[in-house]
Amino acid sequence: MRGIADKVVLITGAGHGIGAATARRFLEEGAQVIAADLDGDAVEALAASVPAGQCLPCALDCTDADALQAMVERAMAQFGRIDILFNNVGQSARERGGPFHLSEEATWRFVLEVSLMSAMRTTRLVVPQMRKRGAGRVINMSSDAALVGDAGLVDYASAKMGVIGFTRSLARELAPHGITVNAVAPGAIRTRAHDKLTPDVLKKICEMTPAGYIAEPEDVAGAVAFLASNDARYITGQTLPIDGGRWMV
Amino acid sequence: MSALAGKKSTIARRVVIVGAASGIGLACARRAIAEGAHVALLDRDADGLAHAVAELGKHASAQTVDVVDGAALRTALTSAIEELGGLDSLMYCAGIDLEAPLAALDVASWDRSLAVNLTGPMLAVQSTLPALRDAGQSTVVIVTSAAAILPVAGRSGYCAAKAGATMLAKALAMELAQDGIRVNAICPGAVDTPLLRLSWETKPDPDAALEAIAQRYALKRIASADEIAAAVWWLSSDESSYVTGVALAVDGGRTFH
Repeated sequence: MRGIADKVVLITGAGHGIGAATARRFLEEGAQVIAADLDGDAVEALAASVPAGQCLPCALDCTDADALQAMVERAMAQFGRIDILFNNVGQSARERGGPFHLSEEATWRFVLEVSLMSAMRTTRLVVPQMRKRGAGRVINMSSDAALVGDAGLVDYASAKMGVIGFTRSLARELAPHGITVNAVAPGAIRTRAHDKLTPDVLKKICEMTPAGYIAEPEDVAGAVAFLASNDARYITGQTLPIDGGRWMV
Repeated sequence: MSALAGKKSTIARRVVIVGAASGIGLACARRAIAEGAHVALLDRDADGLAHAVAELGKHASAQTVDVVDGAALRTALTSAIEELGGLDSLMYCAGIDLEAPLAALDVASWDRSLAVNLTGPMLAVQSTLPALRDAGQSTVVIVTSAAAILPVAGRSGYCAAKAGATMLAKALAMELAQDGIRVNAICPGAVDTPLLRLSWETKPDPDAALEAIAQRYALKRIASADEIAAAVWWLSSDESSYVTGVALAVDGGRTFH
């Protein structure tokens, strides 16, 4: 990818799945990566797999505002800037899923915190230095569960639709400052969340995906790398589905 | 395993570009050649094609054809595929503008817009379908317009044709997934091309007209053709292997799609 090798990239939720695949992708391209995750061992292992100093592992809870601030300060101290922010962290509460009228506020709050508020807070911390430099890329993790309106995931779909509104509005505000803001909306991707699904559910997912298969985290990493590259410098405010054609509206 | 799963090897991609003598199509050809692809260029502009092939070198060939002549388009595509020895990626970049308020919209102009902007890509995909099927993990990108997503007053004949082409891409994505063919649309905003130049160079104050166009985009500038070609190339590469049926707006912040 063009124009990534010399960049500093912050990725939240970089320990597993799409976040980890994207972190590996940016590291392979020669970028410096700040890898944040609740699973400290996972990001430590990622950092240990590349030359010292290329990857800064940060063990933290991405819903903890103070911890996020400390991380951004540490990253700025080490790298001096953050060029690309990938707000990847997020989680559905599928294991607590059920009919909407029985859903609990605590679950809603958790899902909104981890999938929307965390992106807002991290972006608010990272954007000032982007504005100062007149350059930057923000890529937010949405989901085609929001676009499609998946049943049983009302809280998650709401949070991920919130991410799309956040993306569009912020793209408009930050365009004059040379900052693009886009979202990716993956469909069925093989991650830890998918490991918990039964073969029947997985089969159903394949059937409703025109491509007919479940993709790998690397497929999403390719899209994030594209949106972060010079090749995508004229793209802003967009939500890019990476879902094998499940959502086409 | 699904027909769409898996990656292409690193052998040179065989690419056909319809509308390749200038603008976005020419930029796509330059990008494809830079990426090591073998490219067949189709256009009605024979002189433009000759210049393009001279510039692009030995991995580029050309066929002169007007896309409104369906039979000729089929013939040209067939010989382009023969020359390439197959086809991995079709890029449909031919397009014409139609600026006319409804009261002044004549049927001949309307028909011509539909022929180039909508019937053309349908015929191009139909004609290349056997080769795309044979190749597997192949791609089609139809260059449509941000005007396919966001309506523009005074351009109904253009917007409707481009919106049709965008839905054509999606419907074909749905239909051809089982053949291992991905189909996507790129929706550019204003791009510095000969086509766009016609729309502002003819105005009484061209500089003001261009500035007015740029102001419609959040990034406050129009795109260069290579910025569109970059997205076309991405959607034609393994990097976008799980992306099909999307309308990706490359529009500097206009549609927020």
